[in-house]
Amino acid sequence: MAVLTDIFKSTLLPPTRRSERWKYSPISKLLNTSLSTDSEAINSGFSKEVDPNPVQGLEAYRLVLRNGKFDASLSDLPVAQGVVCMPMSEVEDGESPEFQNTYSQKEWVGELNESYHQDGMFLKIARNIKLDRPIVIHHLTDGIDVASFPRHFVRVEEGGEVDVVIWCSSTKKSSGMYNGLLEASIAPNASFMLEKVCNEDGEIYHFSHENIIQERDSRFMMHTFTVKGHWVRNELEIVSRGKGTDSIFNGAYLPTENEHVDNHTTMDHTSSDGTSSELYRGIMYGSSTGVFNGKVFVRPDAQRTNAFQQNTNIVADRGASINTKPELEIYADDVKCAHGCTVGQFDLDALFYLKSRGIQEKAAKALLVEAFLADVISSVPSTELRKEIMKIYQERHGW
Amino acid sequence: MKGTEEENLLSEVTEKNYEYGFTTEIDSDTIAPGLNESVIRTISSKKNEPDWLLKWRLEAFAAWSKMEEPDWAHVAYDKPDLQSISFYSAPKPKKVLASLDEVDPELLKTMEKLGISLEEQKKLSGVAVDFVMDSVSVATSFKETLGEIGVIFCSLGEAIKEHPELVKKYLGTVVPQRDNYYAALNSAVFTDGSFCYIPKGVRCPMELSTYFRINQAGTGQFERTLIVADEGSYVSYLEGCTAPQRDENQLHAAVVEIISHDEAEVKYSTVQNWYPGDKNGKGGVFNFVTKRGICHRASKISWTQVETGSAVTWKYPSCILKGDDSIGEFFSVAVTNNKQQADTGTKMIHLGKRTRSTIISKGISSGESQNSYRGLVQIHPGAENARNFSVCDSLLMTDKCGAHTFPYIEVKNPTAQIEHEATTSKIGEDQIFYCQQRGIEEEEAIGLIVKGYAKDVLNKLPMEFAVEAQKLLTISLEGSVG
Repeated sequence: MAVLTDIFKSTLLPPTRRSERWKYSPISKLLNTSLSTDSEAINSGFSKEVDPNPVQGLEAYRLVLRNGKFDASLSDLPVAQGVVCMPMSEVEDGESPEFQNTYSQKEWVGELNESYHQDGMFLKIARNIKLDRPIVIHHLTDGIDVASFPRHFVRVEEGGEVDVVIWCSSTKKSSGMYNGLLEASIAPNASFMLEKVCNEDGEIYHFSHENIIQERDSRFMMHTFTVKGHWVRNELEIVSRGKGTDSIFNGAYLPTENEHVDNHTTMDHTSSDGTSSELYRGIMYGSSTGVFNGKVFVRPDAQRTNAFQQNTNIVADRGASINTKPELEIYADDVKCAHGCTVGQFDLDALFYLKSRGIQEKAAKALLVEAFLADVISSVPSTELRKEIMKIYQERHGW
Repeated sequence: MKGTEEENLLSEVTEKNYEYGFTTEIDSDTIAPGLNESVIRTISSKKNEPDWLLKWRLEAFAAWSKMEEPDWAHVAYDKPDLQSISFYSAPKPKKVLASLDEVDPELLKTMEKLGISLEEQKKLSGVAVDFVMDSVSVATSFKETLGEIGVIFCSLGEAIKEHPELVKKYLGTVVPQRDNYYAALNSAVFTDGSFCYIPKGVRCPMELSTYFRINQAGTGQFERTLIVADEGSYVSYLEGCTAPQRDENQLHAAVVEIISHDEAEVKYSTVQNWYPGDKNGKGGVFNFVTKRGICHRASKISWTQVETGSAVTWKYPSCILKGDDSIGEFFSVAVTNNKQQADTGTKMIHLGKRTRSTIISKGISSGESQNSYRGLVQIHPGAENARNFSVCDSLLMTDKCGAHTFPYIEVKNPTAQIEHEATTSKIGEDQIFYCQQRGIEEEEAIGLIVKGYAKDVLNKLPMEFAVEAQKLLTISLEGSVG
């Protein structure tokens, strides 16, 4: 059986445990598999297990990808003045976007995406245009030993505004790798919102990398929810290139059984007067592993930066573990930067309080979890999405 | 104008010369530079060491030869050329030292400049000083007093001769020969250091103190300290250092091992003021130190450090909390100025049940320096109800310096409670304004704020050290912090 590096060639070597960025997330098992971008789907048509429309009740445009390939019949793309939204495969040669990020030069995962990328979304929002509904990119993995490499590009022009949801699901028997990349550049005073949900059955190694470039006074808000996933690595890199940017990025992860969830975030303040706020919360159940690495850079010119980072964890069961590393690298003096990180348990006093009022332990714990997650979920802009995320978390953990 | 005032203050700091930059002229017995197996054999034979120790050194050397110098720390420097360093330098013994009169007058002068003349120490402070000039201990005081209660406090070389069974039992048990690049190097070539043994149930009546000095130009200093506190004992150990001004980089790769047996307590305090290099970052000491202690049941190790010197610091005093109910503490103030670089912090390894650890780290960066905190809190699966509390604050004095925080937290037990918080900021203008309003000059106000900022740590120092530490803090940041 051919190993992965024979099938997908690269100049960079796959990361090992010796690499600082990957020491808690080994991928040696994946490297011994034999994947293909042409694996046959288990189901004909879109799977019966998964609805093509992941968030019922949410009025949204939709772009559906199956194993990395665009499915026009299930998609509903916006057609509006000032909005260009199409699958990457239909972008004419002269129009193809110029990706600015250097991920493909830095990491093996990035290089694979660059070399083997398939379809994705190409989105341009013109000046002062606000798209009326969110765009949901639904990616389904359905097949054995599937490798998919979606790649998305977003440009929001001055004063524009758009909300994108990336939803990843997969069928129970599926296996393989998801290697997705999104690059967004946000022009002055524009606004971009991104929600990412990973709800994958099966055995998928999920790598996703979001690269956000913010110009003067732009706003970016992102939520990353890992509901289910065999092995998930979420990477987010935000570069603030102009004055007065605002970045909010929150996340929640509740791995269970043998799952592995890794969240790596980088907030790079290169310009002055920016603010950033980060909140990641996780509960590790079963014998799962959680990894958090948050980096905040404040470069020499980024005076008057105000950066805040918080990571809160609960290790719920024996056998579960969390490795967290919140980092600050600060090269400017007139700044306010803080991070906080905790690992603990459910508050026994709170649990006792609820139980003494006749609430069963299970229900009481569910209430506490809901409260724990509320800080992250409550800032999601759309009500329907918020409800759906809470619902699938609840179903997953049987509250 | 405030702006120019600040500039004046800044230039005062940056032009500040190293106060302890003097060299003592003593005949030294130095071997040719370079490192190979025969150098290790020479060191061992010069010190009349037993065979087991030579074997131990050679094992370390073999391990070291296969290692690469680590580069993960957040520091940038030209790696020292180990082949140009002489690995042994001892002041020639003139006579066996029975009284102070026989001590080299040059040495006595040095000690006076440092403010620790033996007479004074003996008479007034009640501190026993094991004075290390370069690599060999030449004067030890209070030995008799300590001997009466069974405390052994001597140079490591002496301990190897007189208490070989103790040294053999404990040497390398906390920091093994092949632990890391610099620890392996130290294990292979260490020349001397201090040894301290506190017998069962003894509370050491005085603070044990060692002054280190790098003296010979071109001599690497490889100290090795071994502290053993037997069951139920207590000791407070002080280590302080200053180094003469030199233009070439000097390497200091020390190892400190602490064994704290059941219900024992060891308090280890350091004031580190090696030569930091001049304002352009020329010269200065490379301080690559491995310090680690192991705590048995219900015992405690407390590290307190005030770090103001060295061009490059790479130092993580750690605690292995092996026994149930053991406690580890780390209190640190690290000041960097000019082009200094410090990457320092701690490791708390929780293995036993109900183990607790506290980390308080205060970084102050000025000039164009880089100051990093790097720490690890690790809770192993068996460490029920372990508890850790960490605070890492950084204060930035100029717009060219950097302050960084790299805390690693690894938890494998569901009953652990870990809290970590870190903040980075400069001194608030409102704080200074408040002081000024009440008639306190700006410079004085900054000094006040910085001392208040570092108070949590300074308070943990023994009296004798607290005074010196405050002085050092002031000297290191004079101008910008009062």
